[in-house]
Amino acid sequence: MISVTPSTSNVESLDLANLTPEQTALEIRNLNLHYGDAQALYDISMNIPKNRVTAFIGPSGCGKSTLLRCINRMNDLVEICRVSGEIRLHDKNIYEKDVDAAALRRRVGMVFQRPNPFPKSIYENVVYGMRLQGVNDRRTLDEVVERSLKGAALWEEVKDRLNESAFGLSGGQQQRLVIARAIAIEPEVLLLDEPTSALDPISTLTIEELITELKEQFTVVIVTHNMQQAARVSDQTAFMYMGKLIEYADTNTLFTTPEQKQTEDYITGRYG
Amino acid sequence: MNKWFKSGKPYIWLTAGAVSVSLIAVLGLLALIAWRGLSFFWPAQIHEVEVQANDGSTRVIIGEVYDREQVPIERLQESGVKLDGFDGDTLERQLFKVGNREFVPLDFMWVMEPQIIRDETPADLGVLERSKDGNFYGYVVDVREQGESVVNDRDIRDVLFERIERAVELNEKATDLQQGEIGAINHELNRLRLEARALDLEGKFTEAEKQRITAQEQALNEQYRELEKQLFTFREQASRDSVVMRDMRGMEVSIPLYRVLDATFPNDMGILSKVGHFFVQIGKFVSEDPREANTEGGVFPAIFGTVFMVLLMSVIVTPFGVVAAVYLHEYAGKNAITRLIRIAVINLAGVPSIVYGVFGLGFFVYMVGGSLDQIFYPEALPSPTFGTPGVMWSAITLAILTLPVVIVSTEEGLSRIPSTLREGSLALGATKAETLWRIILPMASPAIMTGLILAVARAAGEVAPLMLVGVVKSAPMLPVDGNFPYFHLDRKFMHLGFHIYDVGFQSPNVEAARPLVYATSFLLVTVIVGLNLTAIGVRNHLREKYRSLEH
Repeated sequence: MISVTPSTSNVESLDLANLTPEQTALEIRNLNLHYGDAQALYDISMNIPKNRVTAFIGPSGCGKSTLLRCINRMNDLVEICRVSGEIRLHDKNIYEKDVDAAALRRRVGMVFQRPNPFPKSIYENVVYGMRLQGVNDRRTLDEVVERSLKGAALWEEVKDRLNESAFGLSGGQQQRLVIARAIAIEPEVLLLDEPTSALDPISTLTIEELITELKEQFTVVIVTHNMQQAARVSDQTAFMYMGKLIEYADTNTLFTTPEQKQTEDYITGRYG
Repeated sequence: MNKWFKSGKPYIWLTAGAVSVSLIAVLGLLALIAWRGLSFFWPAQIHEVEVQANDGSTRVIIGEVYDREQVPIERLQESGVKLDGFDGDTLERQLFKVGNREFVPLDFMWVMEPQIIRDETPADLGVLERSKDGNFYGYVVDVREQGESVVNDRDIRDVLFERIERAVELNEKATDLQQGEIGAINHELNRLRLEARALDLEGKFTEAEKQRITAQEQALNEQYRELEKQLFTFREQASRDSVVMRDMRGMEVSIPLYRVLDATFPNDMGILSKVGHFFVQIGKFVSEDPREANTEGGVFPAIFGTVFMVLLMSVIVTPFGVVAAVYLHEYAGKNAITRLIRIAVINLAGVPSIVYGVFGLGFFVYMVGGSLDQIFYPEALPSPTFGTPGVMWSAITLAILTLPVVIVSTEEGLSRIPSTLREGSLALGATKAETLWRIILPMASPAIMTGLILAVARAAGEVAPLMLVGVVKSAPMLPVDGNFPYFHLDRKFMHLGFHIYDVGFQSPNVEAARPLVYATSFLLVTVIVGLNLTAIGVRNHLREKYRSLEH
């Protein structure tokens, strides 16, 4: 059995099946997803609590990234993708016809596997979302930049070169810049899709520390293929396999006393 | 041997060889046209040779050695030339440019090398560059003002240069007046005529209007007469002086100075003054109007026309191509119809350019242009405004011709942009259009520039379609001038490519035109390279800006 350090965060455990509306950030109800004829997600239902870090783990191709991308409707970009079921944000199904995907994505931000800064200056990268909303007041933008970069633990490193190209930053710095860019528009939920898989161990550590801080303000959902990382940063963990949600519980519970055989096999490294 | 093949070395040689051949071909071409074209501007020595014919009679020829060739004696004998006492199979003959077109039947003469019994290059020999009848070679004998010699004891060349400068200045004043103020008055008169006609057509040509227009016309005519008087004064003053030259027949000829543009004494020039003269001649070539049915003078209107048309085409083709590529790549469904359209677009690039010319003439000039005339310029009919070939139709026709290039390279640029960047922008709440505008198009701009570079290279060299939709041998006015609305897109224009064809193949004086063909070709290549280098500079700048996606 590989050693898994239990989460250091001492949050009280929640009854995940019966959250109060104040505790809930997202409710996923009977979510099915097809790529053409192939079904990728099977009848997923889960509650994601507010101001907590929720991790999706599972072997490659289990659908954890697909599920994450359903939450801000990134799958809309895939033409052959069909979704049925509901994801409720503030009791409103985001897949209803009258929901504007762009407006949704302002409330549900996302950070991707590889750092993807825009070919602009550091400053312009951070204020991109603000400018989209028509905010062009220099003072407001300056404040946003400082707050966001501080929030992403990058301010000290870049405050003297805000107008230089974002490509001049290291991979880890770029990823924090992307996080700063995402939190600049103050979303409610922050989706992280394997945010450290392209980074070196030290940058990974910085980002993990950052995630723990981020949950003060945001609901964080992270996909990771690294179980230690899930154990270190998350408050509750969902294990997925072959498009199905196998088990969803407090991180401590899931890693120490998994209920399902498949979960136990996976976290003990027997497959995946 | 087998081992050598396996080592892959032969392929290195093969590929490197192919590159070398291409390189040599390109450099050889450039070197040839540059040498032939530029040597035309170098002040050549003027020879005075005495030629003895077979019957013993002699005559003097003054001129530049223009060409030399080896001719087989057999051929000369067959063509009836009597040759006695020459050894060998071939003999050299020289082509002399003797100028003085109005006094000799041919301004180029072949002379057998063995018949030359005296060959000198006296320092006194001079050449006059004239605005009519080409060069004049001979000795300066006298400079006269209204028939009276004004040389006295001074150096005759100084006097000559002085007087030429004065005449050239006066001529320039006259030309400026003619093209500037008199041109503006003509333009205004024409506008008034059209205004009257337009009012007449609309039935609003009241007595008051009539009086107003007549009054304006009278005022303009008044001004015109004033300017005309001035013009005649300039011309009269310019024709005051004349120069007396002794030509190769030994006769003294008086040449009015208002026709002389420049006098040079190349036999008496040091290398420095020759270099200076060389650059002055090149400067004149690129900045002056053509003369004598394009066989002399400069090519400025052709350079201007080429560049203007290409820029106009770029302005048209870039937005169209980019918009089309964006639709094809970003919005159109990924299905068979889109693929079909894409293939059709690519194949459009393979349609022969003359077909575009025919299309442009039939569709743009006659249909679109004809309709425009009927709607907007009925007063000018039956003389067409846009319903006739012109620079705008040329630009549009070439824009269609080069559209596929821009579409294809823009699409390639769009598909090279990593999807992570699109997603990154969308995830921040941008719509697809916002992502396109703020992220995708700026990043595709180097590719768009590449498309534009290819388009410019193709368009600037294209002649065939232009002959149908707007190019002429000689355009009296540039498409841009000081008269409102400043850009006259309906005008016909001159083009370097067509100029080469015209000078080389339609010219009455082939020998005189030949160096101009090379010089113009070299200039055309230079113009295209210049346009391309500018575009490449812009592209590299953009690339630098949007660099390093390769992480």
